Amino acid sequence: MYEFVSGPLVWLAFIIFIGGSLYRIYKMLSDCKKENVVFPHMSLKHSLASLVHWVIPFNNQYMQKRPIFTIVSFAFHICLILTPVFLLAHLVLLDESWNISWFNIPDGIADWMTIVVIIGCIFFLYRRLTDPVVQNVTDGSDYLLLAITALPFITGFIAYHQLFAYKTILIIHILAGEIMLIAIPFTRLSHMLFFVFTRAYFGSEQGHVKNSKDW
Amino acid sequence: MKPTIVKREPVVDDALDQCEARLTEEEIEKVINEVIDKETGGRLWTYVNTCIHCGLCAEACHWYLSNDRDVSFAPVTKVKDTIWVMLEKKGKVDAAFIKRCSQIAHTECNLCRRCGMYCPFGIDIAYMLLVVRRICAKLGMVPLYLQDTVHSHAATMNQMWVKPDEWIDTLQWQEEEAQGYVPSARLPLEKEGAEIMYSVIGPEPKFLAQLLGNITVIMKVAGLDWTMPATAGWDNSNMAMYSGDFEIMARVERLHHETAQRLKVKKIVMGECGHAFRGAQYDGPTWMGWMKPPIPIVHAIEFYYDLIKSGRIKIAKKAEGPITSQYPCNVIRNAGLGSKLQYIMSAVCENFVDLIPNDRHAFCCNAGGGTINCGPPWKKLRVQSARLQSENFKRTGAHTIVTPCHNCHSGVEDIVDKYKLGMHVKFFSELLIEAMEIPEHLKPKEEEAE
Amino acid sequence: MSNIESWDWEIKEKMLAEPAKWKDQFEDVWEPYISPDGEKIASIVKIGEGEFNICVNGNTWEEPFEKMWYSRFSPDGRLTALISKDMEWTLAVDGVALEETYEYIWETKFSADGKTIAAIVRQESGYGILVNGKVWECPIKLESIASHVISSDGKTSAVIAQTVAVAEADVNAFTKGSWSVVVNGKPWKDNYVDVYGLAISNDGQRFAAEYRNSICEYGIVVDEKPWNEKFGCTWEPVFHPNKSDEITVPVRQGGQWLLATNGRIVWDKGFFSLLYQTYSPDGNNIAAAVAPQFAKWTVAVNGQPWSITFGECVQKPCFSPDGRKIAVIAKDSGKWLLVVDGTVLGKDYDNIWQPVFSPNGDKVICKVEKNGKYAVAVNGEIRGNDYEALWNPVVSPDGTKVMICGVEGGKYYRKVVLLSDI
Repeated sequence: MYEFVSGPLVWLAFIIFIGGSLYRIYKMLSDCKKENVVFPHMSLKHSLASLVHWVIPFNNQYMQKRPIFTIVSFAFHICLILTPVFLLAHLVLLDESWNISWFNIPDGIADWMTIVVIIGCIFFLYRRLTDPVVQNVTDGSDYLLLAITALPFITGFIAYHQLFAYKTILIIHILAGEIMLIAIPFTRLSHMLFFVFTRAYFGSEQGHVKNSKDW
Repeated sequence: MKPTIVKREPVVDDALDQCEARLTEEEIEKVINEVIDKETGGRLWTYVNTCIHCGLCAEACHWYLSNDRDVSFAPVTKVKDTIWVMLEKKGKVDAAFIKRCSQIAHTECNLCRRCGMYCPFGIDIAYMLLVVRRICAKLGMVPLYLQDTVHSHAATMNQMWVKPDEWIDTLQWQEEEAQGYVPSARLPLEKEGAEIMYSVIGPEPKFLAQLLGNITVIMKVAGLDWTMPATAGWDNSNMAMYSGDFEIMARVERLHHETAQRLKVKKIVMGECGHAFRGAQYDGPTWMGWMKPPIPIVHAIEFYYDLIKSGRIKIAKKAEGPITSQYPCNVIRNAGLGSKLQYIMSAVCENFVDLIPNDRHAFCCNAGGGTINCGPPWKKLRVQSARLQSENFKRTGAHTIVTPCHNCHSGVEDIVDKYKLGMHVKFFSELLIEAMEIPEHLKPKEEEAE
Repeated sequence: MSNIESWDWEIKEKMLAEPAKWKDQFEDVWEPYISPDGEKIASIVKIGEGEFNICVNGNTWEEPFEKMWYSRFSPDGRLTALISKDMEWTLAVDGVALEETYEYIWETKFSADGKTIAAIVRQESGYGILVNGKVWECPIKLESIASHVISSDGKTSAVIAQTVAVAEADVNAFTKGSWSVVVNGKPWKDNYVDVYGLAISNDGQRFAAEYRNSICEYGIVVDEKPWNEKFGCTWEPVFHPNKSDEITVPVRQGGQWLLATNGRIVWDKGFFSLLYQTYSPDGNNIAAAVAPQFAKWTVAVNGQPWSITFGECVQKPCFSPDGRKIAVIAKDSGKWLLVVDGTVLGKDYDNIWQPVFSPNGDKVICKVEKNGKYAVAVNGEIRGNDYEALWNPVVSPDGTKVMICGVEGGKYYRKVVLLSDI
């Protein structure tokens, strides 16, 4: 079982993740092309300006008004991406299989980063359950996406600390990671892919077309 | 997803009720899918599928904030209750649903685009609600008074059923009025090759003709070569853009821009109106296939900024006391004229008290986006939902609110009235005409002035 | 322009008036107009409080009026103006006002020979058309007239009019139809929600217009009979120059613009935008301004777009007399350009007026503006001197000469130049 989920299934997950992502981006761009006005309205300068103001924390008025959300959200997203990519345990596997490796985060820090992701998930869950606006637009799919996001980190944390049934937890962890990868292109987790484009378009429309700013 | 709990006092709008009784589900399904397939594309799909349902847009919306954070007014809710359902059900919805869509999209959203600016992904929620309006319009589900205004645009090419002769007659009358201030003032009609074509919105000749007299004086004092058309095409406003009748929108804008081309002017200067700028600068030209209007259009704020900054108009006596200004969404947030508005306000006011928040972050007057044109049935909720901005006005302690936009002007008057602010509401040109210096040689001769 | 042959094509230069001096004579001098033959220049002038006159080559009409506007020369050289006396309005021709007065009068139009003068009037009984001093008789009260056309022989005039009174905000009455076409005082049988783009055939016999029946249902109605086909939108129809039973219209279907003749789609390509369809003089070819893509404008001839495109706009195409060449004014990057058969000719300008071709089509002549001065340009290059004011050059009937009328140094000149010299 371990061999299967850590071998062929990893391949499959990455193929679907990368292939699916490329397809979704291609499809989005070609659908936008059909709309005629989208590309003529775009400008690199204003796309970048918008991105700069929205990927740097507190670089726009809205984030300044919502410090807690901003801190949690940034910490969550940074840890969510960096932890799996720079985790020593992942890099060891990569090194064993393909003999490539890169900088790793010390395990102690990675452990805290995992906790940040889990706290982030709890924070978002709390908002979903208590904020009336969010509650009103939440359905099963939103909880499922949250679970898909949280599970690799929760299981990773348990596996790292070998709290119980290490082997089983490890298999669940790998499966959870694979599910998340597969889910990215085909669920609203695709905001990971589309964020850059939606920002770039709105930034262009506000800046290039409307001579204003979007931050 | 559970349905949104909506608590509203029932509003009777005959056009919506009649349409609800008439519409069939087949017709609805056909129109929804037609609009989604033929008139939208990657943008709508990406917006809907990127939205992570975080609800952050709510804090941007004055409807939500003014109504004690009633969830049903949050931008994301407005999308959830309209386009999400249409997409999910592939257009299989009933007439009552479409009626609610029109209420949401036409009467409870100003398309002010503040929420888009506050969405971390830059999802243009107002765009999605405009798609909803488009669907409603094609089905005939448009609030009565808004639809009537669109009919006026369609029949007369102006917003207020102004007939061609009434238009010219009014201009000639206002030319005489202007000559009371500056005897040599002229309102040149149909002057081919003038530098500027001045265009206005329907309510000016209909109700606010003195503004036409004012501009005649301002143009004379500034020594500008200008003209106004004596044909249809003089109205730059466009409620068809807001009902969702884009064909009429385009016809109106095409005529406006072709009139400028016919008169061979270098630029169009338009009066103080926000939505008209949006229609004439962006939405109309975009539908026509123009990246920008063939003859550039300049909004009054920018025009007055240039006149004051260049010294063509000098300020003799600044307006006294604290004065504040509304920031019209369509020329500030969505056209970047905020700092120019601050400049001209400071130039003509002794004490310009700025709003908080200001510039592109300022809140909508809640009359924009065609909501005020939905008329009396919808007024109560509209003005109630402007409470937030009424508090912002109150805090300035100003005696006058300047509104460089007709929709803002009417909307802010409603706010002042309902919240008993005791403030005056004026157009910028009304302040300017009082403050500007009229050179000696242009003044009426002594004996005439007496 | 009637009797163009009898105009003076011999005298090379005449100085006919000194409009600059008028400014000292009168309180205010309005923008000038010239007669088609270039022999007269006229401006409305203010002579006192509520007293206006018109100054033609330095002489004013005998009688001043309270108000005057819309001074226009008819093709046969008569000077008309809309005037008001005792708070009533009427038309004045060569200084003589009509006896009959109206509540209001506007939009003077002329037949090709200038013999017929028509304008829209408002009377107590409603709106109507004044033709050679007489208001047509119409069996119903017209609530408004949006626009009028007059046939080139002057025998027929037609209007888009509101034929049914609609109360304020009565959307139901409006959607039942309250607009129609009225020809020589006779209303068409049907009313429509809206009527636009009224066109009249060259022989003056037939009429076509766009109509709208509901929000996205447009069609074309020809002599009271609508085409069977319906469209998402339409623009104004045009008649074939010689065949009055052929009508061509841009129509919108499935989100793109197509060209339709008598209801049938005739161009195989659709466009993002399609405007100003124009027949060649023999009617065999059609050119139109098109945008194959958003913000890329060009001209399509019989459906085939030129390869060159312009970023801002393209105006109405114009055929050479032999129909072989097409000129158009285009705008790109803020500058106006003259384009002939897909090639930009000469320089860019701040303004270009509608061009005229020499008879054999090898020269395109137009009025241009650069840095606030006007000049005549041939194939896009300025020839001759600058003018303070200039009118469209006119080519003589034999095609050998050009009449250029303009104001230089405050003086109005009428010049006749050999085409070969410019």
